[in-house]
Amino acid sequence: MSLIHLEGLSKVYRVGDQEIRALNEVNLRIEEGEFIAIIGSSGSGKSTLMHLLGCLDTPTTGRMEICGNDLAKASNDELARVRNREIGFVFQAFNLLPKLDVVSNIALPLIYAGVPSRERLARAKKAASDVGLGDRLANRPPQLSGGQCQRVAIARALVNNPRILFADEPTGNPDSATGRMILEMFDALHASGKTVVLVTHDPSIAARSRRVIEIRDGRITREYAP
Amino acid sequence: MNLLVAISIGLREIAAHKFRTALSMLGIVLGVSSLIATMALTRGIEDGTRIFMQQMGGLELVSIVNKEPSSRKYEFANLSPGRTLRDAEAIRRSATFISHVSPEISLATAVATDGGGNPDRRMVRGVYPDHFVIAMHQIAAGRFLTALDLERGSRCAVVGDTVAKNLWPGIPPPLIVGKSILIDNRPFEVVGVLPLYEMEEQARARRSGRSLSRRWDPFRQKNETVLVPFTTMFHELRSGAFPLDSLETMKLETLTVRVGDLDHFRPALDQVRRILDTTHRGVDDFDLETRQDWFDRMESSVRAARLSGGLISAISLVVGGIGIMNIMLASISDRVREIGIRLAVGARQRDIFWQILIESILVSLLGGLLGILASLGLIEILKTIAPTENVPVLTPDSILLAVGFALAAGLLSGLYPAAKASTIDPITALRYE
Repeated sequence: MSLIHLEGLSKVYRVGDQEIRALNEVNLRIEEGEFIAIIGSSGSGKSTLMHLLGCLDTPTTGRMEICGNDLAKASNDELARVRNREIGFVFQAFNLLPKLDVVSNIALPLIYAGVPSRERLARAKKAASDVGLGDRLANRPPQLSGGQCQRVAIARALVNNPRILFADEPTGNPDSATGRMILEMFDALHASGKTVVLVTHDPSIAARSRRVIEIRDGRITREYAP
Repeated sequence: MNLLVAISIGLREIAAHKFRTALSMLGIVLGVSSLIATMALTRGIEDGTRIFMQQMGGLELVSIVNKEPSSRKYEFANLSPGRTLRDAEAIRRSATFISHVSPEISLATAVATDGGGNPDRRMVRGVYPDHFVIAMHQIAAGRFLTALDLERGSRCAVVGDTVAKNLWPGIPPPLIVGKSILIDNRPFEVVGVLPLYEMEEQARARRSGRSLSRRWDPFRQKNETVLVPFTTMFHELRSGAFPLDSLETMKLETLTVRVGDLDHFRPALDQVRRILDTTHRGVDDFDLETRQDWFDRMESSVRAARLSGGLISAISLVVGGIGIMNIMLASISDRVREIGIRLAVGARQRDIFWQILIESILVSLLGGLLGILASLGLIEILKTIAPTENVPVLTPDSILLAVGFALAAGLLSGLYPAAKASTIDPITALRYE
């Protein structure tokens, strides 16, 4: 059984009298351990797809199964649980809490997983040192560089040991030192068996994956291996 | 998410916005402190009233007071002689449940020593020997007025402590007994001197040399009194002022009786009422006023004071609650992105709801705490202003009540912001700048 299974998935937004079909009958299967890139220009529907896959939203019609959970008509609590346990999300804008230090930022998902505070701290510290930030635990995001923030975001996404890692435009320039390091990190995660889904507009970043899915006008138009 | 985490998040949020939080707490602080202060104040008045009542006479006393006769009897009202000595005598003879009867007439007149000197203007009262018991007098030196004094209409007088000290400064009471004074230029013999009546507080202050002269003194009247036999008062002093009155028909100023046994209080009142019905020829121009009535009246005015104070406090608590709600709403729109992030990593809507609600409760509780501290200061200030016998009393239940109100204000004012925060859409929130 596939880790992610989408069938006839549509998302329709209503703006006044107008219907905007952001996703139109999308079918997609992603197996455990895959390294996939979803590529598309702005307005193609890739963000909508990513929000659905990330359980931040529910589809208008169609089937959506993630990690064995039928989420097409799931309640908010159910979506929250899947977001918390099964999915790690690395946002384009990092989305760290500026008032919290590195450890607390990384430990955030564990709070909502009900992990006791001592264990939270230990796991957050380990996740921080896994991404090479073991010496930055007490710093707060404004004191970190962009690359460091990105690594905090990755550590936070991984701390609850999710089965799928989503990354939305994980790096700007894939040839910069930071970009290379981030992409290497994804390679390593893939190698360790984690399912990785990159969402990007940049074909050179998508080329790092094993399978590229191209989206245009709310439909999957092309699928290829780089 | 457990409570501890929510509390620590809330505390951090409060610490991060100290000024804003302080402003939003202000209403709660004022509400709580004024609530506690009001309760302490009214409690103080209650205590003071109780002590005053105890010292002015117990529940056994009943005053017979004038009343407008009912309209049905209005035309016969002239038939009634009003409250006279005949009432007192009739009650004394026939009312078996009444132990003491004290009719009283008075005259404000000049009192001086027989050696000349400046006379003091004093209230001179003509009383029965029963007055000693009814007015709860003690005697410092000499004796009180007797039935013989009354019968003979002797020119003897018992003087209050202040009167004695003014007329004979520095002379101890036993040496004053036997001296002669001039009341309205007629010589009287002082047969007794009353002790100095004072509140415990005044006694303490006097012993330690402090002055409490500013305070209202419930015993002033008792200390400044000059008592003479009722008959003497009538024949020697009053008859000149009211030549048409006879001893029997003269209207009394006060008529007070004492019930012998509180177990027979109601029957005693019935007896008195029946006797007076006869002597007043069926005209209901009198009323019996018990000390319980006084108590009830004072209690109801205390209750009114407490209610109005409570109302003001309640209003400021409501205002405080609105303040908190306002700040919480502002804080939420500041934190849309944070809420979005928390939702994205797996917070449920109810986690966000509780986080905001608990923060609101924390703010109000903190405000309540500060309000308690403020009320302590406020009560100290009130202590210096309020009369000693009404000194504010802080009670634990008033603190509990105030904290309860603060808690309720925080809870109620947090509900709407919490509900609003918890329904934020994570996608919109994450895009929010």
